Amino acid sequence: MYMYSIQREMRKNKGGIFLLSLLCGVLILSSGAVAQQLYLPAAPPANPADYGKVILDNYASSGPGPVVFDHWLHRSKFTCRLCHVDVGFAMQAKATGVSASTNRQGFHCGACHDGKREFEGKPIFASCSDAVNDKQCDRCHSVGKKDARKYNYSSYTAKFPKGIYGVDWEAAEKNGSVKPVDFLPGISIKRSNMQSRPDFSIKAGLEWVNPVIFSHEKHAIWNGCELCHPEIFPTTSKAEAKYTMFSNIEGHHCGACHLKVAFSLNNCVKCHQRAPTWVKGN
Amino acid sequence: MFKRKIVAILLLTALGFLGGVPAIGEPGLQTAQAAPAREAWQNEFDEVCSKTQDAMTFSEEQLIALIQRCDALLPQLEKLDETRKKVFTGRLRMCRGLYVYVLDSKRNEKK
Repeated sequence: MYMYSIQREMRKNKGGIFLLSLLCGVLILSSGAVAQQLYLPAAPPANPADYGKVILDNYASSGPGPVVFDHWLHRSKFTCRLCHVDVGFAMQAKATGVSASTNRQGFHCGACHDGKREFEGKPIFASCSDAVNDKQCDRCHSVGKKDARKYNYSSYTAKFPKGIYGVDWEAAEKNGSVKPVDFLPGISIKRSNMQSRPDFSIKAGLEWVNPVIFSHEKHAIWNGCELCHPEIFPTTSKAEAKYTMFSNIEGHHCGACHLKVAFSLNNCVKCHQRAPTWVKGN
Repeated sequence: MFKRKIVAILLLTALGFLGGVPAIGEPGLQTAQAAPAREAWQNEFDEVCSKTQDAMTFSEEQLIALIQRCDALLPQLEKLDETRKKVFTGRLRMCRGLYVYVLDSKRNEKK
């Protein structure tokens, strides 16, 4: 009788341990999924060529099909400011209103791609012109069309300095591998050179995370002032500024660019200058 | 014979100047297009929005004046056709926004 009750208890405990293990597993898995969804930046695509790729499919059901826009190609030639301020490309999907008609009128892609402007001594091909053939349309309307695009990421960026994930654009700009143009005749306004603002430090929310050293100079080269202020970074007093990794991961503040085009948020030490404070020798 | 050569060289040089010299010093993109006639609002737009790089150097009064000029320009831009309206009101919104941002920052610093 006594042996029977012990065996029964053990069976019960085994069941309990099994249930407890199951519960722990579910909790771990669910918390991982939740953490991934809420707190961790999504890993950038495996192929750096796909980082910052934009598919414009406003009119996908008709015509030559969706357009593929490669940020890596255009950012090697032009500043972010030129396209997002002077030319008028919005920072949010579907907010620009680009169409074949606007391109033909000389706006959006057509601001440069008009068949007349020259870049590096060569005319820039016209976008959405009636005079062009299907092969030329396919250079942009290239979704699912093999070998339609002229430039290949690997060969184009072969000589650019690389970081842990694709091209290190900041280093490329610094060593002259890329010289992004910031002025489009007839569209840009002549302005004086910006007086650099001082760098500043942003304290991290956690004690073991090193502060961010923010460089105005590095950002201003690509963005000018009005691309970031006030729409991405509105006015606040220093005491009230609340830039968190949570808001970044949700696509606000730094995440407006560093989640989609500029180096990924996963590259912690690019902003938090050094490894966490608990790392030996830090 | 020698005089003729000199005259010919001088004439050719003069023709070169009259024909125009391509812009020097503007890097990157060049345009072969003749500049279209500019509308009145464009000069004011260029004048107002060309100062964004210097915004931090302006006094509060100068910034307020620029913001007021942006506000005065908006009704003119809203009369443009749809695409131009969207592009130029967007650009105006950004440059006005920057002036407001700098003005607010300056006021915050004083607090």
